Amino acid sequence: MNDHNKTPPLTMGWIVAHLVFIAALIALWETSARLRWVDPLMIGKPSDAVGFLWEGFVTERSLWKDIGYTLFGTFASFVLGSTMAILTGLMFVTWPATERFATPYLTLLNAIPRIALAPLFLLWFGLGLGSKIAVGVSLSYFVVLAATVAGIRSVSGDIVTLARSLGVSKGRIFRTITLPSAVPSIFSGLRLALVYSMLGVIGAELIAAEHGIGQTLSFLQANFETSAVMALLLVLALIGLAVTMGMSWLERHLLRWQ
Amino acid sequence: MTQAAAMTTGAATADAAIHLRDVSVHFGDITGLKEASFDIAPGEFVSVVGPSGCGKTTLLNLLTGLLPVQTGTVKVLGKPAREGNSDVAYMLARDCLLPWRTTLGNAMYGMEARGLLPGKEREKKAHHLLERVGLHGFADQYPKALSHGMRQRNALARTFCLDSPVLLMDEPFGALDAQTKLQLEDLLLDLWREHQKTVVFITHDLGEAVALSDRVMVMSARPGRIVADIKIDLPRPRSVRDLQKSHEFHEIYTEVWEVLEAGMKS
Repeated sequence: MNDHNKTPPLTMGWIVAHLVFIAALIALWETSARLRWVDPLMIGKPSDAVGFLWEGFVTERSLWKDIGYTLFGTFASFVLGSTMAILTGLMFVTWPATERFATPYLTLLNAIPRIALAPLFLLWFGLGLGSKIAVGVSLSYFVVLAATVAGIRSVSGDIVTLARSLGVSKGRIFRTITLPSAVPSIFSGLRLALVYSMLGVIGAELIAAEHGIGQTLSFLQANFETSAVMALLLVLALIGLAVTMGMSWLERHLLRWQ
Repeated sequence: MTQAAAMTTGAATADAAIHLRDVSVHFGDITGLKEASFDIAPGEFVSVVGPSGCGKTTLLNLLTGLLPVQTGTVKVLGKPAREGNSDVAYMLARDCLLPWRTTLGNAMYGMEARGLLPGKEREKKAHHLLERVGLHGFADQYPKALSHGMRQRNALARTFCLDSPVLLMDEPFGALDAQTKLQLEDLLLDLWREHQKTVVFITHDLGEAVALSDRVMVMSARPGRIVADIKIDLPRPRSVRDLQKSHEFHEIYTEVWEVLEAGMKS
């Protein structure tokens, strides 16, 4: 309804400007590598990168499998971590004593650099999906937990007072006022959690895994296939972008009142 | 000053809309309200003024039943005050609109919460009141699209939809700019005349209290005591806007102001 704070529409002129800029950048990159202004071992070559992507996605199709593993791991850790976090948040708010008891332990756990847990998770869950999901969960859980608790706390005391004066029961106030008030905060937590899940999964794959983009990346890097590494980084950036945009779209449509 | 408090005007105890006798409230060591006694007649518009923190809101919380009575008697329409009493409609300084509901949805919220009227009639009544408060073109908007004044109009619609005989208002226009405030005060007076409600109106704005009310009760600083109960003999119907230019209004205002000042020193 109110669209006045949106960015101006992308006109043809802007699109052309961006395309020219990107083309110039790629041309500069290709030239620097070919003429050895910079060692191609450091920056790779765009033409090789395109060749790698063509092979991986079209002729040999091996990249699809990697992407599949990484995305599945990401969504599994996102769903698992968020669900656990929202349930924990509800528990904390319903029984405040549980929060007081658990907070020091959670703070301590949250202080561990999560990627440092990866070797332990590999030991426990093996090289398959289990270990990367565990790392993903260990990141997304805390993000969503903090957002859930903050969201539930953010409910306006005045609205609760009004509802009480209207004779609304405590349980109904929680379901019809407190929870909906928490939704925007939970949503921004979820958006972050999705990115963090992917971060955790790829991090775990980089250390060791059977399949996944992170694992392939680590393998290619070890073989100095810099062009392929560059190509995969681009793929990761695009996946990350798509995921974040998808969440924003969902948020806009579900929370039109915001 | 205590004599003034004892000089309770209005109806006999039996048919009073609101009845307080020797009501005190303590929050730990702090006395929030000290020995308050008064009656308010049905249909009367009474304002309570006093310095901030003197226990005005405490008084309302007792009447809504949100705060349990510690000592003394509090009765609303002859029955002890209790939380969720459908004889009482409460309106706060903040609009308390649910941000995920539209203007219409918010106007209906109180009726829904109390299970008043079947769905169709509920909507009809909400539409009628939205029209009365000047929001008929905004029924489908969310609160974020409304100005402060419009939101408080929405809250007025929600309050009057309840059709409760007693209205408790806690500085409902305190956060508005002067112009909007005058408009809403006149709107409130119109609605009050049409719906014949008993109103307890908390404010720190003495001009507002004098202009709107049949009686102004003045509270002292903590521990909050009612130090004066002054009848306002301005003719009805009134227009708050017109009163701003009235000589009589300013005389009464000065009179009440002196009492308030004396009360703040005591």
